[in-house]
Amino acid sequence: MLLKLAFRNIFRHFTRTFLTFLAIAIGLMFLILMDSMLTGIDQESFDRIINYETGHIKIFDRGYREDEENLPLDKAIDNPAPIVAQVGKASEVAGITGRINFRIMLSDGVDQYPAVGIAVDPKDDESVFRLKQAVDKGEFLNEGEEAMLIGEGLAEDFAVDVGDYMTVLTRTKYDTYQALDLRIKGILRTEDPKIDWAAIVIPLDLGKESLDMGKGVTEIDIKLKDPARIEQFREMLAKEIPAMEIATWKDLAADVLAIAQAKRGGTSVLLFSVFIIALIGISNTILLAAFERTREIGMMAAMGMRRGQIVRLFVLEGAMIGVFGSITGCLLGFLLNIPLVTYGINWGAMMRDIGDVGYRITGASRGVWNIDMFVIAFIAGIVISALTSIYPARVASKMEPTEALRKY
Amino acid sequence: MPIASMDKVVKHYKVGKVEVPALRGITVSIEPGEFTSIAGPSGSGKTTMLNLFGCLDKPSDGRVFIGDQNVARLTSNQLADVRNHNLGFIFQTFNLIPVLSAFENVEFPLILLKKGGAKERKAKVMQALEDVGIKDLAKRKPNEMSGGQMQRVAIARALVKDPKIVLADEPTANLDSVTGEGILKLMREMNQKTKTTFIFSTHDKMVMDYAQRLIRVHDGQIQSDERK
Repeated sequence: MLLKLAFRNIFRHFTRTFLTFLAIAIGLMFLILMDSMLTGIDQESFDRIINYETGHIKIFDRGYREDEENLPLDKAIDNPAPIVAQVGKASEVAGITGRINFRIMLSDGVDQYPAVGIAVDPKDDESVFRLKQAVDKGEFLNEGEEAMLIGEGLAEDFAVDVGDYMTVLTRTKYDTYQALDLRIKGILRTEDPKIDWAAIVIPLDLGKESLDMGKGVTEIDIKLKDPARIEQFREMLAKEIPAMEIATWKDLAADVLAIAQAKRGGTSVLLFSVFIIALIGISNTILLAAFERTREIGMMAAMGMRRGQIVRLFVLEGAMIGVFGSITGCLLGFLLNIPLVTYGINWGAMMRDIGDVGYRITGASRGVWNIDMFVIAFIAGIVISALTSIYPARVASKMEPTEALRKY
Repeated sequence: MPIASMDKVVKHYKVGKVEVPALRGITVSIEPGEFTSIAGPSGSGKTTMLNLFGCLDKPSDGRVFIGDQNVARLTSNQLADVRNHNLGFIFQTFNLIPVLSAFENVEFPLILLKKGGAKERKAKVMQALEDVGIKDLAKRKPNEMSGGQMQRVAIARALVKDPKIVLADEPTANLDSVTGEGILKLMREMNQKTKTTFIFSTHDKMVMDYAQRLIRVHDGQIQSDERK
C-alpha cells in the first residue's frame, strides 16, 4: 500500500515532479556522456602512445631517463644487436625494434621550428609501431634513403608537401652541428600531436650515420603479444639485462595517466553536482509535499501510522522520483552516446589552439560504452534521491497529529 | 467498567511564552456503547478532550484511560499503536486520501493494522461501504464524490477495523443540514448496530439533539453531563 500511495502521490503535481526528475535525469545523462567522452579520449590517447611513441616496453641505457627531456644521444645503447637478439627470442614478444630520438630545428629556409627527429628502422619498425599505416600522403621510408616523413601539422605550418625539401638542423652524439637537406617522402597523420605537430621521421641508418651513433640507438622498443603481462615481462627483463633501464608505456606516459586520474576526480565532481541537484530538487519537492499534506499526515497518524512509516512513505516518494530520473537519465545517456560513439567529437581546432595538454588527440575522439557507469548512474540517482528525502520526510513525521489536523 | 475516562485532567497550551489553560481538572467516564456529544462554544476545550480521548495529545496533568490502560505517559509510537487497535476517527473535513479510491481509503486502516489477507480485507471493506450505503462508489476518488458521500467513506473507514471507540470532530460542520442529519442518523444506526462507542464534539444544536449523552464544557470545565 505504501508503494501504491507513494507512486500516486508523486503524480499529484505532475509538473513539479517532472521538473525534479528531469533535473536528475539531465545530471545523470551528462555524467554518462562525460564519462564516455573522457574514457574515449583516455583510451585513444593510450592507444596512440603505444602505437606511435612507446610500444609496450622500452629499454634504455642506464641514466638516459634522468635526462630524457633533452633526448641525450651520449646515453645511447651502443650495441643493441645482442639485446635485440636475446629479448626477441622470448615467446611473449610480438615485435622488437630500435629507434633514435633526437632534437632538431626544422627549417624551410625562411622559418624554423624546434621539433623532434625519430630515426626508425623501416624494415621492422612496423613490428612494434603503426607509423607505416599512418602515412596519409606519399610513402613510407626505405633503408638508405635521404628522405623523411613529416607530421601533418608541421607540414601545414610550413606549407610543404610531398616532394619538397627541408633542412634538419641537429647536433651529433659528439655535439657537433649537423645539417641535412631531406626530401619529404610522406605526410604522417597519426592524430597524436607529439607526432603530427612536432616530429619528423627518418630512416635509422641515415640517423646513425648523420648523428655519429655508430651502431647505437637511444632505445629498444618492444611490443608484447599479451599487453596484460607487461609488468611480469618488465621484471623478467630487469633480471636478464640488469645493466639497462626498463620502462613500460605507463611509466613513459605518466603525464597522461595523471590527467586521466584527475579526470576521475572530475567525474566525482559531476556526481557531486547530481547530488546537489537532487538535494535541492528532491528536498524542495518532498518538503513542499509534506507541507501541503499536513492534514493528511495528521489523519494518517491518527489512524495509527507510526512515524517510521510516514518517513518511509516520503522517502519512497523521493526514491521513486529518483527511479524515474535514473531511467530517463540512462535512456538519454544511451541515446546521445550513440552518435558520440559512432561519430565522436572533433576537437581539432580547439586542441590546436590549446596546444599540447598531454592528451594524444588532434581531431575527433569517440566515446565508449561503459556499462559500469550506466549502473553507477542508475543506482546513484535512486540512492541519492532517497537519501535527500530523509530530511523532509523526518520533518513530515515530526508533525504532531493535532497540529497537522488543525492546519488550514 | 468505562471504555474511556479522564481523571483530573489538566491541559495547558503554550502560546508564545504564555501558558493558556484548555482543560482545568476534567474527570469523566464514557461507558461502552454510548453515543456521546461533547458540546461547547469555541475555545471551551471540547476538541482538546476529543484529542486526549483519541490519544492524539497528552495531558499536562491527570490520567486518561482507554479501557484500563493509562495512555497519558505513552510514547508517540505506543500511542500510535493504541489508536491503530482501538480508535476510529471521523473529521470535520473528511480527510480522505485524495489519490486513493473510496475502497482504498477504507482499506487503509486495515493495512496499517496488518490484520487478515487481501480477500478478508476486501470482504470487510465492501461490507463497511455497504453499511454506510455507498457500495456503488467503491472505485470513486474523493474528488468525484459529494461532501456527504465523502463523510460516509470516512465513517466506513472509522468503523471497518471494529474499533472500541469512534471519535468524531464536528462531523457535520462542513455539510448542509439535510446531509448532516443523514450522517448523524447513519452514525446513530451504526452505534446501535455495532455497539461501538461514539464520542463527538459539536456546537451544533441538531447534533446535540441526536446525542444519547450530552457533556457540556465551558472554559475547560464540565458544565453539565446529562443522559437522555
